Amino acid sequence: MLELRLVQGSLLKKVLDAIKDLVNDANFDCSSSGFSLQAMDSSHVALVALLLRAEGFELYRCDRNISMGMNLGNMAKMLRCAGNDDIITIKADDGSDTVTFMFESPTQDKISDFEMKLMDIDSEHLGIPDAEYQAIVRMPSAEFAKICKDLATIGDTVVISVTKEGVKFSTRGDTASANVVLRQNTTVDKPEDATVIEMTEPVSLTFALRYMNSFTKATPLSGTVTISLSSELPVVVEYKVAEMGYIRFYLAPKIEEDEDETKPEV
Amino acid sequence: MQMAPKETLGILQQIEALVSDKLQVVSYKWLSREFLVPSNAAKQLLHEFVETHGSAIEVIYTLSGWLKRNPSSYHVKLVSAPKLEEAKKEFDGNCSVQVYSVQACIPKDPGELWNAEFVQAEELFKQPAKDDNCLRNSRFCGILNSFVKRTVDGTDISAAASHPKGVEVSEPPKSNSTRQSITVPPPMPVKLPQRGLSVSPKSTNVINDVKTESTEEPASEPPAEKLKVTHDSTANKTKGQIVKDFVNGGSLANLWGRASAKSKPSTKAAEDNKLSSNSTEKGSSGDEAQDIKFKGASNGKGSKKRRVVFDYSDDECEDPVNLASPDLPKELSNQSFVSEKEDRAKLKGKESTEGSSNQLWGKDSSAVSNIADPKTSSEKIHGQMTGDARKDIITVPTAGSPKRRKVLNTRIDERGREVTEVVWEGEDAATNKDDRSTVKSGNNEEASTIKHSAPATKKSPAVGNTTLANPGGKAGNKKGGHKDPKQGNILSFFKKV
Repeated sequence: MLELRLVQGSLLKKVLDAIKDLVNDANFDCSSSGFSLQAMDSSHVALVALLLRAEGFELYRCDRNISMGMNLGNMAKMLRCAGNDDIITIKADDGSDTVTFMFESPTQDKISDFEMKLMDIDSEHLGIPDAEYQAIVRMPSAEFAKICKDLATIGDTVVISVTKEGVKFSTRGDTASANVVLRQNTTVDKPEDATVIEMTEPVSLTFALRYMNSFTKATPLSGTVTISLSSELPVVVEYKVAEMGYIRFYLAPKIEEDEDETKPEV
Repeated sequence: MQMAPKETLGILQQIEALVSDKLQVVSYKWLSREFLVPSNAAKQLLHEFVETHGSAIEVIYTLSGWLKRNPSSYHVKLVSAPKLEEAKKEFDGNCSVQVYSVQACIPKDPGELWNAEFVQAEELFKQPAKDDNCLRNSRFCGILNSFVKRTVDGTDISAAASHPKGVEVSEPPKSNSTRQSITVPPPMPVKLPQRGLSVSPKSTNVINDVKTESTEEPASEPPAEKLKVTHDSTANKTKGQIVKDFVNGGSLANLWGRASAKSKPSTKAAEDNKLSSNSTEKGSSGDEAQDIKFKGASNGKGSKKRRVVFDYSDDECEDPVNLASPDLPKELSNQSFVSEKEDRAKLKGKESTEGSSNQLWGKDSSAVSNIADPKTSSEKIHGQMTGDARKDIITVPTAGSPKRRKVLNTRIDERGREVTEVVWEGEDAATNKDDRSTVKSGNNEEASTIKHSAPATKKSPAVGNTTLANPGGKAGNKKGGHKDPKQGNILSFFKKV
């Protein structure tokens, strides 16, 4: 028996909107510690890891570990039927091949049940090692989204370079090139507007903007985004989900064989 | 023969990865060549693998021994695990049972069993003649006795052709340039080695046995065997010839059998084949289909000279990159595009639309007209596109408005090939650039593409790019696999749990 009651139902809606474009089908793994998901996109370039800790739910009952395969597109459609202020409860019986989403309006005068069939999905669970990243950039998520969107109009790839001076996003297309430099800035009114750069050594990596733009679909979840970079490692783009968890997107860098071609002049 | 446990473990893990992730058929031969272990050791490895992972995978066993029926003949048979016991009963007394291959599932097309091997063998053959690879000197072959003689200078293997023992213990070396028989572990007489093929190229009786009797499970295995025998006797033949032999052997369906498994890609491929090389010989259409579907899969790697890369999956742009047959005669540069009349083109195009996906191009002119007629070809392409792409294509027929005409345009492209393009020239200069059908033909390489343009140029499915390179590494290939060779794979960073 599984029963998860999430008062802030809109979080789940946002989570689904953030990942449904990247991953079609995925297994949600429920254990006593929390509600998690790990999935790669179909081309195995990006990986999304979601964790919603049990403490974040008003009620979290998970008698045994259960893995529920769902089509994320369908799930997102279901959740779209929930109001933004609704309380969402996820229920699944042992041995059942369906999952039920229950939406309660804040005033408790409307209760909807949506039942969805589960799928058998062969999931490949990857072990993600803890790594020390050479550079960690925390910045406003909206800013990051805008940079990715802007650069995508010019080129296909973005080179993210972190130096002492700041973090630079650059791209180059057939007809134009662009650089966006952000300097560390902690003197702001609201902490989420700060740009904080922690760097042990300079790093520069190239990524497909297409994926970056897909990751920024998670922007509504959090005011800040954390980008962790290390050469030889996938970038991690992390959005916190309220206080209860996170969505982390991992993206394999592009291998730069010909630096001149992919890297805008510095 | 025994390897260090650690090494063995590594290989076992790799086998697991290959079988479960890449869905490759791992046969002992492939394993032996890939990891440079003796074939008997490879079999041992597979056996270990089956013992540990037996429940999760499918196993094909090799049974060899004398049949019960009269006249008793030596028989080698591949059977799947469930049929093993039954198959054993057919043999007289003891028969040797060995693991031939492990795979995620029993392939529908038995040809897949040796597909990976074939590709691998091809690659080894392709290496410069002076390179002494494992295929050439058969250093991993588990057979060594007085009947097996691997001669040095490219002459045939000599062996006691009719000796039954020779049959039992022999496996044809894949090639015979040099030998290193010293390194080969001696065979175990009781536990018969892999396949009871006669060493002598002349002694066909055993081969016939294999052919006629072991049809139950892997129908395509005999051709494979035959091919190998061919290798023996024609060690100095070019590979093309060998492949040709093979094709003529009637097993094309096995070789490229998956072309018809799914209609969509094959239609597309057939069409592309038509468009690109309205002269390629029969049977080549499936080739590309296979490449489409199994791009990056076991048989895709480097085995075929032609390659079509499609991305059906995305809704934004479809970039067929089509490198057509290298053997294509040059005179087929579609000289007659200009003279094609619209109505005739339509008529012909219709004909070809009605044709099945496997239709081969007897008529060059209809191929040309199919290119020339935007309506028909767009219809055809339309049939293969999905989702919103379709809607866009429906608009394409406007391209066929009578105010525009086709113009033949020949130029030399940046790679030095002669490129013949059929360009739609109309009042709308802006669309003109995109709206063209391109037929390239050049030295030993013909690439052809149709550009369908029309107003909705961006979304047009068949926006072609005739160059080999992926157009700009457009990041629009999310689902299309690794179109962009520079894009790293997340799996190379994180290991499976």
